[in-house]
Amino acid sequence: MPIAMENPALDAAADLLALLHDTTTEPRADSQLEALTLAVSADLPVLLWGEPGIGKTAALNHLADSLDLPLTTVIASVHEPSDFSGLPVVGDDPAVQGVPMAPPDWAVQLVRAGQGLLFLDELSTAPPAVQAALLRLVLERRVGTLRLPPGVRIVAAANPRSSAADGWELSPPLANRFVHLQWTYDHDVVVRGLGGTWPRAALPRLDPRRLHDSVAFARRAVCELLAARPGLVHQLPKNETRRGGAWPSPRSWEMTLRLIAFATAADTTRDVLSMLVRGAVGDGPGLELLASMDRMDLPDPETLLADPASAVLPERGDLRQTVLDGVVAAVRKRPDQSRWDAAWALLVLALETGAPDLVVVPATTLAALRRDDWQVPAAIERLAGVVSLSQRADRAVGGPK
Amino acid sequence: MDEEKLFAARLHAVRCRPYLATALFALHPVESQHVPTMAVDEHWRCYVSPRFVDSMPLAMLAGVWVHEVSHLLRDHHGRGDRYAAEHELTGPGERLRMNIAADCEINDDVFGHGLPRPKGSVHPRDLKLPSGLLMEEYLGQFTLGPWTDDWAWLECGSGADGLVRPWDLGPDGAHGLSEHERDAIRFLVAQGIKGNPGDVPEGWQRWAEEAFHPPQPWRELLGAALRSAISGAGEDYTYGRPARRSASLPGVVLPSLRRRPPRVYVIVDTSGSVSDAELGSAILEIAAITRALGGRRDHVSVLSCDAAVHVTGPLCQAEGIPLIGGGGTDLRAGFDTALRGRPDAIVALTDGQTPWPVARPSCRTVVGLFNRPRRPEDSDYVPDQPPAWAKVVTVG
Repeated sequence: MPIAMENPALDAAADLLALLHDTTTEPRADSQLEALTLAVSADLPVLLWGEPGIGKTAALNHLADSLDLPLTTVIASVHEPSDFSGLPVVGDDPAVQGVPMAPPDWAVQLVRAGQGLLFLDELSTAPPAVQAALLRLVLERRVGTLRLPPGVRIVAAANPRSSAADGWELSPPLANRFVHLQWTYDHDVVVRGLGGTWPRAALPRLDPRRLHDSVAFARRAVCELLAARPGLVHQLPKNETRRGGAWPSPRSWEMTLRLIAFATAADTTRDVLSMLVRGAVGDGPGLELLASMDRMDLPDPETLLADPASAVLPERGDLRQTVLDGVVAAVRKRPDQSRWDAAWALLVLALETGAPDLVVVPATTLAALRRDDWQVPAAIERLAGVVSLSQRADRAVGGPK
Repeated sequence: MDEEKLFAARLHAVRCRPYLATALFALHPVESQHVPTMAVDEHWRCYVSPRFVDSMPLAMLAGVWVHEVSHLLRDHHGRGDRYAAEHELTGPGERLRMNIAADCEINDDVFGHGLPRPKGSVHPRDLKLPSGLLMEEYLGQFTLGPWTDDWAWLECGSGADGLVRPWDLGPDGAHGLSEHERDAIRFLVAQGIKGNPGDVPEGWQRWAEEAFHPPQPWRELLGAALRSAISGAGEDYTYGRPARRSASLPGVVLPSLRRRPPRVYVIVDTSGSVSDAELGSAILEIAAITRALGGRRDHVSVLSCDAAVHVTGPLCQAEGIPLIGGGGTDLRAGFDTALRGRPDAIVALTDGQTPWPVARPSCRTVVGLFNRPRRPEDSDYVPDQPPAWAKVVTVG
């Protein structure tokens, strides 16, 4: 048997291979790796979409290494449905004992290990019957009679339809169970990785003091949007281009909720959260959720009106415009002299701390709200510049030569 | 710097193009002596030369605001980078070419309606190119030469071509927008345009449609639609026959993979203005896909719904596709004939000027719709839309 060990030529080859495998890792800001790690720690099944050969499998290997989890790779397209739903084994008396569904050995080993990373590769090239069997594995974590322990995380990979030569389409029910991440290669990461240093993935550090707030924030973010936009709760993909991708349903919204809570507790950047949320419910609903979360961060008009002296307005012009419009709308809703004065004070503050053109429209609207018996506040004087700016813009309509 | 003039110009731009208001207000102006005119970076900062502000009339300055924000909304820096990587282009000359091409894409529909075109701006007709194309399409059609000398000074910043400039404040500088924030602004602007397309020029409407869902080539879509229509019919596991590896596993019941080539009927509507070349390529595509799925040639049948047998005739002979001719311009007749052959899928290639079957056919249906502008003589004839049970792919 140990012939290979005695062969000096092969020994040298083994040494060379070992040297080639000897790579190190470094911490590096890599938002797609961060998104993958966050979804894995949130125990949501992730589906990596990417062209063949760009390192999806390699990324998974590094992830398993750095999380210290055993990696089990199952290539979905070369398996049969029974490998996932269990092989029926006929016993002595099926009428008495029933026909047990025997799980395959990789599942038995995963259960024995108690934890691990299950990597389902080539998902989109699996025939429909295999995909149907995978539904149960991905959602209920059942393989035959076995149930995968909670420590097992599921990640899948698929080639996009354009490059899958004879690919089946991912069915909408299966697609809805995954967080879809577009996997692209970063030139620098590849060059540095081939040089021997790959980026390191680390599980997000959840702040124990923020857990309650994170859940409350996530629930508020999702519920506020869905209350205002009932149409976004469930939308089967109609468009041919979007089939097989993420789409909104109560299930994927629940996944989104979990992702927001994890991202908030781990203090992840909005960029990473954006990838995850769009991967769970699709681009359109995801971006609407993120836009609505941005608005949640804006100061409340009533708070601003109550104490204009200590108000802080957002730096970004478009957000500042939204806040000022909100303030004017609040005054219009419940007009009285003190609120009107407070709004003027806020407009003056906006003028002193930012671009003047943002103030023009709110100022005009606010002026129109004036009742006859209200005193004009002295602060209005300071807005004279705004009026001249507005007039200057008006004159431009005449069209100078 | 005459900030009042700069901001009055932005206000004028917002009044002329209300649908761009969010994006215009999100742009953060930075005074800079290094830029010749106005330039943007990918973090939505706008570097402004004070001398340029003084020299431009206010309305033209407003036009420049809209021009610069268009670079960012249309993601010219990202597209420029991707184009450069794909074609392995380097050097400032290529980036200048990208800036010119990006300007061509923007300038053909950004000016007018209150915003006069600034002097010296690029228009595709200056390069003897048609308007309405995309930056990538322009890039393939011109080189630098004496005819582009007028724009050698052109400088819209890294936001227009992706090449980092020395004056750029970079991702960590003040007032930069993160990728997520940029996406959110582009999304809001696109939603605004889609929700209220009234006065918005066609170029911007197209951008709004495609901003987050770029169109896919019809070949891939048709292939995917056909594959999923046939899936389940051609190849699947069955317990009907014992598997070959059963012998080695006594006591275990294994399914076997059974392959039945899918039968596909292609109904071709040759009555309309569909060109021979388009029809030919569509049919070849379908034949290739079915073959890839294990179908043999005799499992693809082509029905022509018009007398124009000559169009598809030679092609089908060359490809070995039997052609059953005849029928009117009514696709319902074609569906009837096809269904009698018990197909796994029907593909209808048509320009849509036809009535459709009332009931859902017993097999899955893919409609390849040739996109045709309506002919004026048909103006009072409104064809029925393809029914909801069909997968519709716009072809060509």
